[in-house]
Amino acid sequence: MTNHLSDDELILHHYGETTPTDLARVTGHLSSCDDCRSAHDQLGRVLALVDTAPPVEARPGFERDVWARLEPQLDAQGRGWRQWFGTPQWALAGAVGALVMVAFMAGRLSNGPATVSPEPLQAVNLTERVLRAAVGDHLDSTQMMLVELVNGDTGHLDQLANEQARVSDLVAASRVIRLSAAQSGDVAIVDMLEDIERVLIEIANAPADVTSNEMSDLKARITAEDLIFRVRVVASEMRQQDRTDREAGDRMPRRLPTS
Amino acid sequence: MEERDPSVVARARDGDRDAFRMLVDQHSRYIYALAHRMTGSAQDAEDVVQEAWLKVHKQLSRFEARADFRTWLHRITVNCSIDLIRARRHREDAHDPADLETGPLSERGADQQPTPERVTASGQISDRVQQALGLLTALERAAFTLRHVEGMSIDEVGEKLGLKSSATKHSVFRAVRKMRHALAPFAQL
Repeated sequence: MTNHLSDDELILHHYGETTPTDLARVTGHLSSCDDCRSAHDQLGRVLALVDTAPPVEARPGFERDVWARLEPQLDAQGRGWRQWFGTPQWALAGAVGALVMVAFMAGRLSNGPATVSPEPLQAVNLTERVLRAAVGDHLDSTQMMLVELVNGDTGHLDQLANEQARVSDLVAASRVIRLSAAQSGDVAIVDMLEDIERVLIEIANAPADVTSNEMSDLKARITAEDLIFRVRVVASEMRQQDRTDREAGDRMPRRLPTS
Repeated sequence: MEERDPSVVARARDGDRDAFRMLVDQHSRYIYALAHRMTGSAQDAEDVVQEAWLKVHKQLSRFEARADFRTWLHRITVNCSIDLIRARRHREDAHDPADLETGPLSERGADQQPTPERVTASGQISDRVQQALGLLTALERAAFTLRHVEGMSIDEVGEKLGLKSSATKHSVFRAVRKMRHALAPFAQL
């Protein structure tokens, strides 16, 4: 028998992918050629062996490790991103500005001549708390954006273009908060916000035709500078401090009306 | 079966963190095995599991309640595996071990190949299958797994992997030849 079936034809036939035009020829040949039929049968037996292999088992305690690694990312995903980016873009910087203004006014009013003993402390606490709330929300949004960017497919370059307007808003918000933090003398927050802003500005100003390599470089920089980790740590400290302040505030006697 | 209990999925979709953790506990081993079969690497499989759960969490509100959760999770995991493989493709292309195909496996280490009798006696055929899968490049492995295990057509595999039909066929053919070469002695038994 001449014109035996090729390897490729046998493989395609095994998977039922012989083209309609070749089907009659291939099946006809298999029915009349012992060698090809034998080769086809052997191929079937080999591939059947693959199906007998049991799945690779994860190590003991795998589920616990998965959850430990996953949960912090779920927290970030669940909070800031949706709430913050669900807000109209024009409102984003305005909202931060308003928060900072409230903080500023609270501090100003508290320093007036009519204040009595516990008020300055309360007002300073209020100023700090409002500022911390603004920074905390901003960090949540930033963290989520960075996580999605780092975990995103480098091949999906349109992801970057879609987020650039939002990133510009994050930059604007960051500047307002940073100035306020500088006035409060909080150097650590100022330093961190400056580092984040540099990366955010790069993202916001990236060209529309950014290449996969440029995207990879950006991701590498985010990773190398531990930006996500630093943001996460500071955001966590903010929340912890806020809880402590709230508890302290609850214990503090409330001021009675002075009229 | 508890893992098919739609109420857990429904609670997770409503934001119940405990229910979501229950899903993670119930299904992580399954998707790890799937991701490992696709990627051939424990570390990559763990990364795929993480990514898959993040996607599930993000998209859970869009999950159709009448659909089967595991089927949906399976598809997400396959897609995450493919994303990872595609992202790394350019690296692999730089050093595609084509030499694996140039000579019989026996020429590259006959002493490493147990005889069929020894393999059968010790029940190590599955180990041999894993070794054979380890001979495939990442792209071949993905193409072979999608075709052979997931049952996708070659056109569907090409679409998933971003390959032309001819390149997809080439990957599947190479993979099958390597598997046949490594496993043929045991298929005679």
